[in-house]
Amino acid sequence: MSQVRQYELVYILAPEATEQEVADLHTQVEAIITRYQGELVKTENWGRRKLAFRIGKHREGTYVLEVFKGTGELTKELDRRLKVIDSVIRHLCVRVDEDLRLAERTRARREAETARRIARGLPVGGRSRRSDDDGGDDEPIDRAEV
Amino acid sequence: MAEERRSRGGAGSKVRGNARGAEKGGPRRGMFRRRKVCKFCTDKVDYIDYKDAKMLLPFVPERAKILPRRISGVCAMHQRKLQTAIMRARQLALLPYSTD
Repeated sequence: MSQVRQYELVYILAPEATEQEVADLHTQVEAIITRYQGELVKTENWGRRKLAFRIGKHREGTYVLEVFKGTGELTKELDRRLKVIDSVIRHLCVRVDEDLRLAERTRARREAETARRIARGLPVGGRSRRSDDDGGDDEPIDRAEV
Repeated sequence: MAEERRSRGGAGSKVRGNARGAEKGGPRRGMFRRRKVCKFCTDKVDYIDYKDAKMLLPFVPERAKILPRRISGVCAMHQRKLQTAIMRARQLALLPYSTD
C-alpha cells in the first residue's frame, strides 16, 4: 500500500521523567513500530539538555532520537500517540530517506569527478585545500552530552 | 554679456560634472571586498543536519534570525537546506525563535 520510508523521530520528555519512564516510552515506541511492520534502525538518547526557550514551564528536557523505517500510517500513529502522552513536551518526525539519498548521490558524483581528474592528471577542483579528507561530513560534531 | 553668462553657466555645469564623477568614484576607491564563498560548498557538506545545533549557530546571530545569504555568502541551494534545518531545530528547541 503505502511505501516504506526512513524517518527520524525526536521527542523531548519533561525533565521530571525518570530513567525508567524514558525506557518505558522507548519500548512503547518500539512496540508501535513493530506492530506496523516497521523496523527500528537506530536509537539515541541525548540525555538532558537545556531548551533554547521555555516549553510550558520547562527549561530542560530529555531528548531521544529514533531512526526507523516504516509507512506513512506508522508515523501517523506515532504522532497521535505522542501527542496524547503528557510527559512528551515536544516531538518531531521527519522523512529523511530522500535527503540522505540525494546527499549520497552528490557525494558519489563528486568522488567520481575527483577520480576522473586524478586519472587525467588535472588539478582537483574546489577551493578547499583539504579535498582528500572527506570522511567527516555526516558525523555530527557533538551529539551525546551526557 | 550673453556670452559671459553662457560661459559661466558652462563652467558651473563642468564643476557639477566633476563633483558627480568624484561621488561615483567614491565607493569604488579602495573598497575591495573579498568574494564570499559558500561555507557548505567548500566543506563539501551534502546534508545539513537539523540535529547539529552547534553547526547551525553561526547562521542565527544575536536576534536568532536567519542570516541572509548576501551576508553569509552561502549559495542558494545550501541556504534553502539551511533554512529547513534551522526551522526544524527551532521546533525541537535546539535553536531559539527569537531572543531579546
